[in-house]
Amino acid sequence: MKIFFLSIFLALFLFSNENKETIQVEILENIFKNISLGKKIVIWSDNKKLLHEFDNKAHFSTTQKCHMASIIVLEDKKNLKEDFCDKAIFVLNYELLKEIPKSFGSMFWKKGRPNIVIIESRTKEQNISVSNQLDMYLEEKIW
Amino acid sequence: MVKRRELTIFFLLFILGLFLAYTYSDILRAKENIFDRIEKHKIEQISFVLKNLQEDIYKNNQIATKNDLVSFFEEKKNREKYEHILSMMLSSDVKYSYVLYKDDENKFRFLLDASKTDKANFNQKFDIDLKEYNLAYATKEPQTVKQKNVENIYITYIYPIISNGAVIGLFNIDFTTEIKSIILESIKPLEAFFTILTIFIFIFMGITLVQIFHYFITKKKIFTDPLTNTFNRNYLEEIGHVIDLKNYSIAMLDLDKFKVINDTYGHKAGDYVLSHVSTIFKKSIRDSDILIRYGGEEFLLLINNRDSEKLKMTICERIRANVAKENFSYDGDDIKVTLSIGIHKHPSLEKNLQEAIKIADKMLYEAKRSGRNRVVVYDEKLNSHSSSSSSSKYLSFVKEALAEDRVTCHYQPIYSHHTGEIFKYEALVRIISKDGKVIMPMSFMPQIKLTNVHYKLTQRVLSTVFDKFKDNQKLVSININFSDLIHPDIEDSIVKALKSNHNLASRVTFEILESDEIENIELFKQKIHLLHSLKAKVSIDDFGSGYSNFKSVIDIEANFLKIDGSLIKNIDINSKDFKVVKSIVHFAAQSNMQTIAEFVHSKEVYEKLLLLDIDYMQGYYISKPEPHLVLKEELFKTVS
Repeated sequence: MKIFFLSIFLALFLFSNENKETIQVEILENIFKNISLGKKIVIWSDNKKLLHEFDNKAHFSTTQKCHMASIIVLEDKKNLKEDFCDKAIFVLNYELLKEIPKSFGSMFWKKGRPNIVIIESRTKEQNISVSNQLDMYLEEKIW
Repeated sequence: MVKRRELTIFFLLFILGLFLAYTYSDILRAKENIFDRIEKHKIEQISFVLKNLQEDIYKNNQIATKNDLVSFFEEKKNREKYEHILSMMLSSDVKYSYVLYKDDENKFRFLLDASKTDKANFNQKFDIDLKEYNLAYATKEPQTVKQKNVENIYITYIYPIISNGAVIGLFNIDFTTEIKSIILESIKPLEAFFTILTIFIFIFMGITLVQIFHYFITKKKIFTDPLTNTFNRNYLEEIGHVIDLKNYSIAMLDLDKFKVINDTYGHKAGDYVLSHVSTIFKKSIRDSDILIRYGGEEFLLLINNRDSEKLKMTICERIRANVAKENFSYDGDDIKVTLSIGIHKHPSLEKNLQEAIKIADKMLYEAKRSGRNRVVVYDEKLNSHSSSSSSSKYLSFVKEALAEDRVTCHYQPIYSHHTGEIFKYEALVRIISKDGKVIMPMSFMPQIKLTNVHYKLTQRVLSTVFDKFKDNQKLVSININFSDLIHPDIEDSIVKALKSNHNLASRVTFEILESDEIENIELFKQKIHLLHSLKAKVSIDDFGSGYSNFKSVIDIEANFLKIDGSLIKNIDINSKDFKVVKSIVHFAAQSNMQTIAEFVHSKEVYEKLLLLDIDYMQGYYISKPEPHLVLKEELFKTVS
């Protein structure tokens, strides 16, 4: 747990001079490495810069077609489409967790610090297994 | 001196560099100090407000525990009230103000957030892992966290809310980087100025270092003789002014018959010998001694006086013996080399270094004259010499001319009025100065008499004249001192040259000064006999100016008598001179010698001499000495 946490902040430190998307992708990668959807993780995002950063890192596959993806990284609710029904949704805004009941977690910036929230009940509903490395980010409800 | 100037510049740049580095670090320190003061001031203000707020929260609302605090702020109106109070702290310097607490799972959660933007919800988790947060809990003391410019926050101030001796929550104030940015922006030009200045100083220091390095490389080349890898005369000039002669003895070292080595085995063999001999020298001396290649095969050794008097002799004897026992093998030939050394043990007794060198050089001359391959030491008690520093200057001047091949001969025709032809030419030494001027022998010859340089100059003249006349049929006269004539090396040179070319021998006349100090008349006669035996002719030069020992002149059977110019130049107006010359002409005729009158500078003198039936005449009226051999057609044209 501690190691995971440190690695996130180390990433934050190391990439503090880099752009926000790069740091965001570093953190998201650490999260996605510690969850299992029961199928290969293929990422689609409405944030094209973020998707491009994922491509550069090459740890996860990405797609430009959302129906090909297994996980949706959503920044703006208006980009939510109906065919996301069967996808895992990870949002980039805490408030979106409330607005999109299907979203199971969020990575967002709060007062300049990166924050992660994973809603435990939603992961269970969607059969998303979460490594205990992410325990400290698990929340029972959205405040 | 370049070295001194460059080193001074480098030193000044270094000092300036240090000063700038210190000033720059001072500015940085001052900058940090300004930040610290601003921080401190802000924090003091905030701290005071937070303290009052804390007291208000738990005193007015009966809050004793963390749960009480959470319960209290669960009420929206309570949150709004205190968030309103907190929001009053927000300014251009304070970006966020909020209250956190640590839940049972040690997660930090928001209780209040007065921020106008990026506002968190009540109880929302806040991921922070800075030790200062836990430290605030543990120590119950406020903490300051320097952020790494996260979203232009540079400091977070954490103030613990304490109730019943326990921390139940944390006030958090995030300061923006705005002030810092303003300060940084304002001092940026100053920082840029110092950075550019420092870069320039380092560039200049680099350039200066390169120049100094280049200077030392060049200096080594300037002061080192490439063949022998010893110091050269430039080095002697460099140290000449600063060297303390009390600390040194001086030795002049000269390879015996080096010319023979060059002539017999070639110049490459000569260079090989010089190179190897200098290696022997270097092995035979100490680190504190200074070895200088002074001329072609001549070396100057400055022997340090740190050890006993006896050691100086030992060093020189060791050098001499080491060279003598060495067999120099070059191109299949075994070359034996010997060395003559002249020493002046106490050069500090002389006026200057050049004067001391002159004496050492005289001792070298003595060593050569005494049979070579020996060391001769100057004895101050026995030698009460008088010399001037100007003579030392000329000694050095001639040595330099010899080394730089600026010694030449001009030739003055000796005219026969009986035949109307040029009878022969007199070779007269000249030195071409560095600026191309022709220097006459009276400017330097008297000063170098009885020195090793004199005999080297004579050797050079002999070599030059023999070389010029070996293949033509013209006759030539060469001036030579008695002291040179009895010098073994000069004798060798003459014998070798004339024996190998009988035709040349029969065309050469050696003019020996009648005024020369001839101490050993028997030896003199022997040498004249030797010249006669080689078929060379002998002329008594400047006859009438010395002690005029008629018997000796008859005994040596000279071929010519050259009447001294002092008797000729006024012969047209001075009847006494006319009578003396008339007597000399008569004496010469009786003794079977031909007469030559020199200093024939005017038509009047020339015509007067015709009356005396002088055999030959020379002088500016007939022709000046010229670098080339003057032709008959050119005579009587130089003086109207």
